[in-house]
Amino acid sequence: MTARLLKTRRLDGLSLFGLITLGILLFLGIFGPLLPLGDPTRIAAGPRLDAPSPHFPFGTDELGRDFLPRVVQGIRATFLLSAIAVAITAVIGTLLGLMAGYLGRTTDQAIARGADILFAFPALVAGLLVAAVIGPGQVSAITVISIATLPLFIRVVRSVTLGVAGRGFVTAAEVAGASALRVMLVHLLPNVMGAVMVQLTYALSIGMIIESALSFLGLGVQPPDASLGSLLRQGSGYLTIAPWMVLSAGVVLSLAIMSVNLVGDAVRDALEPLKGRPLT
Amino acid sequence: MHDPVIALEDVRVTYRGGFLGGTGFDALRGVSLDVAAGETVGLVGESGSGKTTLARVCLGLLAPTAGQMRFAGQPFGKLRQRRGQLSVVLQHPEWALNPRLRCGRSVEEPLVLIGVPAAERRARVAAILDQVGLDPGFAARLPGQLSGGQRQRIAIARALITSPRFVVFDEAVSALDVSVQAQALNLIRDLQAEHGFGALFISHDLAATRYVSDRIAVMLEGQIVEEGPAARFYQTPEHPYTRALMAAV
Amino acid sequence: MSRAVVDINDLVIGYDTGTRQVRALDGVDLTVFADETLAIVGESGSGKTTLGMAAGRLLPPEAQVLGGRITVCGVEVTQADDPTLRQLRHDRLGFVFQNPTSALDPTMRISRQVALAMGGRPGSQAIAELLARAELSEPDRILHAFPHELSGGMAQRVVIAMAIARNPELLIADEPTASLDASIRARVMTTLGKLRAESAASLVILSHDLSLIARHADRVAVMYGGRIVELGPAAAVLDAPAHPYTRALLAAAAGNEEPGERLRPIPGTPPVLAGRAEACAFAPRCLFREARCEAERPEARAFAGRDVVCHRAEAVIASDAPPRQEVR
Repeated sequence: MTARLLKTRRLDGLSLFGLITLGILLFLGIFGPLLPLGDPTRIAAGPRLDAPSPHFPFGTDELGRDFLPRVVQGIRATFLLSAIAVAITAVIGTLLGLMAGYLGRTTDQAIARGADILFAFPALVAGLLVAAVIGPGQVSAITVISIATLPLFIRVVRSVTLGVAGRGFVTAAEVAGASALRVMLVHLLPNVMGAVMVQLTYALSIGMIIESALSFLGLGVQPPDASLGSLLRQGSGYLTIAPWMVLSAGVVLSLAIMSVNLVGDAVRDALEPLKGRPLT
Repeated sequence: MHDPVIALEDVRVTYRGGFLGGTGFDALRGVSLDVAAGETVGLVGESGSGKTTLARVCLGLLAPTAGQMRFAGQPFGKLRQRRGQLSVVLQHPEWALNPRLRCGRSVEEPLVLIGVPAAERRARVAAILDQVGLDPGFAARLPGQLSGGQRQRIAIARALITSPRFVVFDEAVSALDVSVQAQALNLIRDLQAEHGFGALFISHDLAATRYVSDRIAVMLEGQIVEEGPAARFYQTPEHPYTRALMAAV
Repeated sequence: MSRAVVDINDLVIGYDTGTRQVRALDGVDLTVFADETLAIVGESGSGKTTLGMAAGRLLPPEAQVLGGRITVCGVEVTQADDPTLRQLRHDRLGFVFQNPTSALDPTMRISRQVALAMGGRPGSQAIAELLARAELSEPDRILHAFPHELSGGMAQRVVIAMAIARNPELLIADEPTASLDASIRARVMTTLGKLRAESAASLVILSHDLSLIARHADRVAVMYGGRIVELGPAAAVLDAPAHPYTRALLAAAAGNEEPGERLRPIPGTPPVLAGRAEACAFAPRCLFREARCEAERPEARAFAGRDVVCHRAEAVIASDAPPRQEVR
């Protein structure tokens, strides 16, 4: 798909910027622990609340920890948590969406209504509830992200399935005696994957926002580990005397979400090249 | 005399109204129709006349609300028990094949479903592709690399690979260009002479239908209003609606 | 002959598909006269839709005019600026598309859409009169309907009414009956023809349906490989074709055969041109071809009351081999 992305000449400057930024952030997130950036949890690596300098490019925090490796660790935590949550959700949501769209009737009613209820449920309220039940931490962050993004997958996959299921090759397979499971896996799944890919990027950006919000509220990643949200919270206490903490975490978080969205748009344009073009 | 492949007896289909059970809609209002082995019955009528509903009944995709459908003299039963005995070729060449499957896999699917081993499947795919006039190399291609006429040949190959006793062609040539349509119509005629399947050829196009059919039934508002040998539809059909259709030929 | 409404000179149009250039029109010369019905017939890929859309400069962005001129109602559309084009389309052209339900705005009542097409502030009386001219039986009821409440035939009549609302000089109809049921096609075409005659406009029909054209067109232009290969009075072209492609197309179409006769498909596939054709584009599929056809590009010449682009036209028209062969 990357090849297809690069082949279409719709890859304008903005998409390229998103792709490069996302690439750098992913590289930092994945290989961060291997890079010679220092230990993110080492206390008193330098003076407390030291302003950015060549030695500490992002400054230090109130415990004298180097803030650059903490931000890199935050990128890793935020991306990783959201990615795990969204990957699990995508699999479940795609299967439910296929069932709703293809089996119809009561299955469809149950799944579609369920998705509506989840969709109507505010993510933060869900976060408070989940954190209250299973306690704050990574598991509850993943759960909340799943609850918030599951309806996205169900709805999109269901509507694409409804369209594909009416096509000739599905009817031909049914007449040949294919089981519902076979029709869904062999004929429908490959044809809804494009829509799932587009939805993945949007869900990932939503997941990152939710993860950051939960960690900011103290319901997500717990200290001494860092996520971009918890770093924002940490920095917000020293906003006036050490603005670099909020600034560095905030700018990186914004870049991360923006780049995911830009890449998502580019993916959508590559997969649906006809959308949004003028009628001839 | 053998039993007809498909025998419809006073078949009625009523679609229920809204979920409050409002007024239903009678898609088929008592249709009786036989298709014998080796015979093509043409079914013409406009959109909403009930042709597609009738096709779904004949394919076992829709149970009649009332009346009977018999397959080779037996009650139809479940679609899965009829694996390999019937098949369909549908409109829209661009939607006839799964765009993500190589053509060979689409063509062999009916054989997979009746449990034919892989080696035999390959040989039969090559043989049927040859019969529809395509090089065996087409098995490795994706539908997106094919023209509309070639895709429809692949769809015909898939429909015939199990040597079914009954095939429905639902607007199978309507979306094709004139010269490609002629190829497809000739192909259907030749393959039927060879395989001896019974066929229901559904179309809004009387010209193509009478060319390929032995008998023609004209549908209007869920009923068959005229039925007779195809030759009659080259002259003066009886029903005024059929004459309106003739005007467009 | 009467005044020319459209004058097309050696028009060449290519599509840039990103990886390669495909030539859709390979040098088209065509004049559409006032008060006539001209049918452009050809199979998919022949260039007929490109030609029709080019007249209104309604081409997709990938299309590039590589050469030639198109003059429509005195406006040179390949050079005109946007306001001129808009005014031309708005006041002097009318379009009827293949699918009437997608040509109408689903959120707007028919009365408003027709009023917009008429311009100004027409009263409902005037709108109803226009719909009645398009032979809609209950114009007052249809006024208040939304497009989804109309049948395909009714919707197409509404589209036709909108197309003639400003008395255009040129009507372009792209497969106007292809999405309609067979039993009403003839009547919708008759309405279109009647309205054209009333307003003395020119009508250009783009279609692959030969029988439709035979009945409703004054002249026929047969397209193949981005060129008009035969152009002349409908009766002459369809009864005694002088181009082997026209002849082959008639022999392949179901509808003209006797019971038991076998249709004769055209062998091979239509060409996809990368550049100017330096020989006859139909030669590889042609029963009449000789060495010259594969070496020399035929040019249009007057022959037997029509223009034909074929080196072998004399042999084609003289050939009395039956256009069809007997079945098995």
